[in-house]
Amino acid sequence: MKKILFLLALTLVSASAWAKVNVITTTSDLAALVTEIGANKVSVTSLTKGTRDPHYAQAKPSMIRKVFRADLLVVIGAEMEVGWLPALMRSSRNSKVSPGNVGYLDVSEFIELKGKTSARVTRDMGDVHAAGNPHYWLDPANGILMAKAITERLSQLDAGNAPFYQNNFDTFKAKLEQKIIQWKSDLQGFNGKKIIAYHTSLLYLADAFNFDVRGYVEPKPGLSPSASHLNQLIKTIKSENIRYLLMEPFYETRSAQLLKRKSGINYIVIPQSVGAKPNIHTYFDLFDGIVSALKAVEK
Amino acid sequence: MNNAMCFAQSTLQHNENPMDIGISALFATGVASKGNSTIANLQGGGHDPSKIGFTLQNLELTFGGAVDPFFDAQTNIIMLLNDEGEAILEIEEAYLLTKQLPAGLQIKAGQFYTEFGRQNKLHPHSWAFVDQPIVLSRLLGGDGLRSQGARVSWLSPLPWYSEMFFGVQNAKGATGNSFLSAGHGHDDHADEEHEEESSEYSINGAEDFLYSARWLNGLDINDNVSANIGFSAVWGPNANGVEAEKELRTAIYGADFYLKWQAATSSRGYPFVSWHTEYLFRHYEEIEEDVFTRKDSGWFSQFSYGFKPGWIAGLRLEMADSNEEDEHAINGDERFRTALNLTWLPTEFSKIRLQYNYDHAHHIGEDVHLLWLQFEYNLGSHAAHVF
Repeated sequence: MKKILFLLALTLVSASAWAKVNVITTTSDLAALVTEIGANKVSVTSLTKGTRDPHYAQAKPSMIRKVFRADLLVVIGAEMEVGWLPALMRSSRNSKVSPGNVGYLDVSEFIELKGKTSARVTRDMGDVHAAGNPHYWLDPANGILMAKAITERLSQLDAGNAPFYQNNFDTFKAKLEQKIIQWKSDLQGFNGKKIIAYHTSLLYLADAFNFDVRGYVEPKPGLSPSASHLNQLIKTIKSENIRYLLMEPFYETRSAQLLKRKSGINYIVIPQSVGAKPNIHTYFDLFDGIVSALKAVEK
Repeated sequence: MNNAMCFAQSTLQHNENPMDIGISALFATGVASKGNSTIANLQGGGHDPSKIGFTLQNLELTFGGAVDPFFDAQTNIIMLLNDEGEAILEIEEAYLLTKQLPAGLQIKAGQFYTEFGRQNKLHPHSWAFVDQPIVLSRLLGGDGLRSQGARVSWLSPLPWYSEMFFGVQNAKGATGNSFLSAGHGHDDHADEEHEEESSEYSINGAEDFLYSARWLNGLDINDNVSANIGFSAVWGPNANGVEAEKELRTAIYGADFYLKWQAATSSRGYPFVSWHTEYLFRHYEEIEEDVFTRKDSGWFSQFSYGFKPGWIAGLRLEMADSNEEDEHAINGDERFRTALNLTWLPTEFSKIRLQYNYDHAHHIGEDVHLLWLQFEYNLGSHAAHVF
């Protein structure tokens, strides 16, 4: 009897040692980082695709099932998922991954967010997040902080593999630091250049590579551009001689085409997330993609 | 349906306040080819605009959040104005939801919408059209089928999303139309007689409650197309036999189908196309000299096309009928209605909708044309994006 119990216990222990940590992330960028750290010790699925804006996701039934079965839920936070994650969590009934538990990782808590304000925020201002701008993954230096938070949480959940995760983090960090130097040198021509962005989502990217954002295609964050706002923007572009407009692939290009026609500005569609373009599979690919899109129009 | 935008909430709300608070106000104004007495019978929903001129359809206060580590809770209180301009208060929903039950189980308890089909649970500000589908007004009631009770749901371990719901609720109460309250209207005096009948009905045991079952499945056909398929049933006593001291019963069955396509590179959730269809039928025992079963059925099928950010065009087709011998009965005649609408959502927090209804009801005998303009505002907490 004792022998059977021992064998049973051994089987259970070894089964748990072999079982992969089931990680669900809200975005493809988080999934890419979890893959860097967790490699073959985790199985990871992103709830949203890189081709879409994660603000506007909806709690599809298939997502309920994924969160229900998750060991770890990794979110961007800073109100990025406020429109759909609370409802999804209620339906998913998985208390392991609810806020306050080890299975819930809000990565924004580990980042110095930009655009935080203590001033009163009203919806008159459009899509302004008082908690800070949530598009922080677009600063590659934040990639290190994000990966570190993921490493620590995976090590806590799966202590047996902690050295493995730490080792992967060290490798990732060393490579990313190298790449950041290379990307900055590739984009030297853009250093200090005035640009227009479509939405406030490119704030971190602009700061990381020292672009001077002089205006936005949206009159207020989240609002569709109006004719009068575009006319004003044309004046700004001309008077300040701004040559580049940066935008994500999911925005309409009619406004950008109009601006190009009227002012001669180049518009550059840059991938904003892993998976935004078919060849972008990793966090490194993302910035390689951004750099090559910018280099392609540099004159 | 209404797409999906994400806006800021105050930090106070998110970081310091244990509760999300919101107000949603829904107004409509309309013109029609017939007078108010006719329109009131065509617009059967409790929150439908049903007169020429202005209507406050729904002023809803929402309070929700985590109660503690064990329960979430939600409360929706609705106010309306009747024809005399008097305010009417309703407890739309108020329920607890468990968070920590094992094995994929979850219990909801309180006052809540019965799990029946897709549309019944949607609050008026989430509807894709100005008014409630005819078959739902007739079979589930103008306010939707909701009551006090409890339901358990089970998220099955099947390899696709498959959830089952079983509910027990009071069959008595103002919103159990096909059951112990026949015809609840906010200012409908014709129902007083029925309400009296209902109040005479004595609850003796398990057979006097309303039982519901629903099986909901969700499939991702690919990255851009998802579908829901559901089957529902609800059983309970009705008030028709009170005078004859007979217990008469009602059974309602339904099937619902929902399909949504969203473009691979979508902005603010657009462009998208959704298709939502439901079919319901009812066995409703009545008594004159003998007990007989009235059979009612109906369906609606609606398409929404979000063609650019903030803009949605809609088309709804619907029919309802019954084996009622009196073809001039307002709620039992043959009925066909088509609605076309155009909705503009400047942001998620406001909405303007223009809707045209072509309505053919046998009891009227001629076509009726209605035109509605609806407008909505939302303050406070961020309403959930509905798939």
